[in-house]
Amino acid sequence: MQHDPAIIAGVTLALETAINETISLSLGTREALAQKCGACIAIYCSSPEVSVYFFVNDSGTVSLQNYSEAEITVSLSGSWRDFQTVAAANDAAGALVNSNISVTGDTAALIEIQQIVSDMDIDWEAPLVASLGHVAGHQLANALRGFWRWRTDSHRRISRQVSEFIIEEGRLSPSKHEIDAFLSDVDDIVLKVDRLESRIKRLQRQLKPASEPS
Amino acid sequence: MHETSTDDTTDFGYERVRKEEKAGRVREVFDSVASRYDLMNDLMSGGMHRLWKRFTIELSGVRPGQTVLDIAGGTGDLAAKFSQRVGPDGHVILADINAAMLSVGRDRLIDKGALNNISVSQADAQFLPYADNSIDCITIAFGLRNVTDKALALRSMYRILKPGGRLLVLEFSKPTSPLLSQAYDAYSFSALPFMGKLITNDADSYRYLAESIRKHPDQETLLEMVEDAGFVDCRYHNMTGGIVAIHRGVKG
Ligand SMILES: C[S@@+](CC[C@H](N)C(=O)[O-])C[C@H]1O[C@@H](n2cnc3c(N)ncnc32)[C@H](O)[C@@H]1O
Repeated sequence: MQHDPAIIAGVTLALETAINETISLSLGTREALAQKCGACIAIYCSSPEVSVYFFVNDSGTVSLQNYSEAEITVSLSGSWRDFQTVAAANDAAGALVNSNISVTGDTAALIEIQQIVSDMDIDWEAPLVASLGHVAGHQLANALRGFWRWRTDSHRRISRQVSEFIIEEGRLSPSKHEIDAFLSDVDDIVLKVDRLESRIKRLQRQLKPASEPS
Repeated sequence: MHETSTDDTTDFGYERVRKEEKAGRVREVFDSVASRYDLMNDLMSGGMHRLWKRFTIELSGVRPGQTVLDIAGGTGDLAAKFSQRVGPDGHVILADINAAMLSVGRDRLIDKGALNNISVSQADAQFLPYADNSIDCITIAFGLRNVTDKALALRSMYRILKPGGRLLVLEFSKPTSPLLSQAYDAYSFSALPFMGKLITNDADSYRYLAESIRKHPDQETLLEMVEDAGFVDCRYHNMTGGIVAIHRGVKG
C-alpha cells in the first residue's frame, strides 16, 4: 500500500527532530558521529512500505529523508515487525544477525554507528545547571535521567510523541508569538466592527427624523 | 454558462479577464498579501505546506554544486532549503514576478544567513531570462496556477534546463475522494477568505486563491501539459489526499 507522502514526511521530520535533540544532549556523540559524516543508512521497510534514509552531517547531526538518490553506505530491508523486534532487543546487534532483515553494503560502518548510538550518554545536567543553578538543576537532571531510562524502555514512546513533536519541535504550526499577533489582530477588528456598528446606529438615528417626515 | 470566451481572455479565479490584464491582477493579489504571506501559509494549511515542500526537495535529487531555479519562489522557502543542499559550490536563483514578494524573501534569507549562494531576480515564468541548458533543477511551488499561459511557461522552463535536468511542479490539485473534496471546498471558499480578511485585511485576494485552485488543471491534465512541453519520465505524487500534487518531468 502507498502511504501519503505528506504524513510520512511529518513522522520522519518528528523523528529527525527527536534524534537530533537526543544527540545534542549526549556528551561526545556529535563529535563521534561527525567522524562518520557523509554516511547514509537506508532502511527499506516492507508492509508498511516506507523508506527512510539517515544521513550523517558534518556537524554530527542527522538528516532523515524518505526519498533519495544519493549513494548509500549500508541498507537494511525487512518488514516493520522485523525492525520492531530488533529495536526492542537488549542486544540489537545480536538480534539483527538472527532476524529476517537483510543487510547490504558496508556493514562495518553500520556497526560503528550502532556503537556510537548505544554509547550515547544522555547529559541532561549541563544545560539544566546552566539555566537553573546547581541544586535545582542537579535534582531535575536526576529526575530526567530516570525519565529517560523509562522512555527508552517504552517502544510506544515515538508514536505517542509524534504529534507533540510535529506541533512543538518541528515548528510545523505557527509559534505562540505569531498566534498572539493574529489574535490581537482579531481583537482589533472586533473592536473596529463594534465601533463601526455604533457609528452606523448613531447615523441612523440622526438620519431618521430627516428622512421620515412623510 | 453563457460566457463568450474569446482567445484573448483568460481565467482570473472565476472571472474572465483580458490576457494582458491577468498579470497585473495577480500582482495586486500578491502585493497585498506579501508581508503576511508566510503566516497565512502556516495557518491555512495547518503547517502542511512545510511537509509538501520537504518532500518536493527530496524528489528533486539536487546535489552539492548544482544550479537550481525556484520560479514563483515568493518568500524563498524552497530557495533557503536548496541553498543548504547545493552548498558553496552550487547556486540557487530565487525568482518571482512580484517585487514585493521578493523583497520579503530577500529579508528572510538575510535573516537566515543564507544569501551567499542565492541570487534573487525578478522574472516572469513565461519568459525566463536565462541561458538554454543552464539549470539542473527547476521548482515552481503554488505558482503555476497564477501564470497566464502555462504551456508557454513550461516550454520556457524546458528550454533553460540542462539535458537530464528536472522540473518539479508543486501545486494544488484535485482531492481523490469526493468527501474530502467537499470539505475542502467549504474550507477554501469560506474559511480561507475569512482568515485572509482577518490577517491581511484582504478577503478578495484569498477568494481569488480559492477560485484559482479550482480552475487549475487536475493531476492528469497537468501531466499531459508537462509531457506536451517535451518532458520525459513524467509522473506525479498525490499528497494529503490529492489536495496537492507534485509533478515531475525530466528533460530528455
Ligand atoms: C502562492 S505564491 C507561492 C510562493 C512560494 N513558491 C511558496 O510556495 O510559498 C505564488 C507566487 O507566484 C508568483 N507569480 C505569479 N505569476 C507569476 C509569473 N508569471 N511568473 C513568476 N512568478 C509568478 C507570485 O508573485 C507569487 O509570489
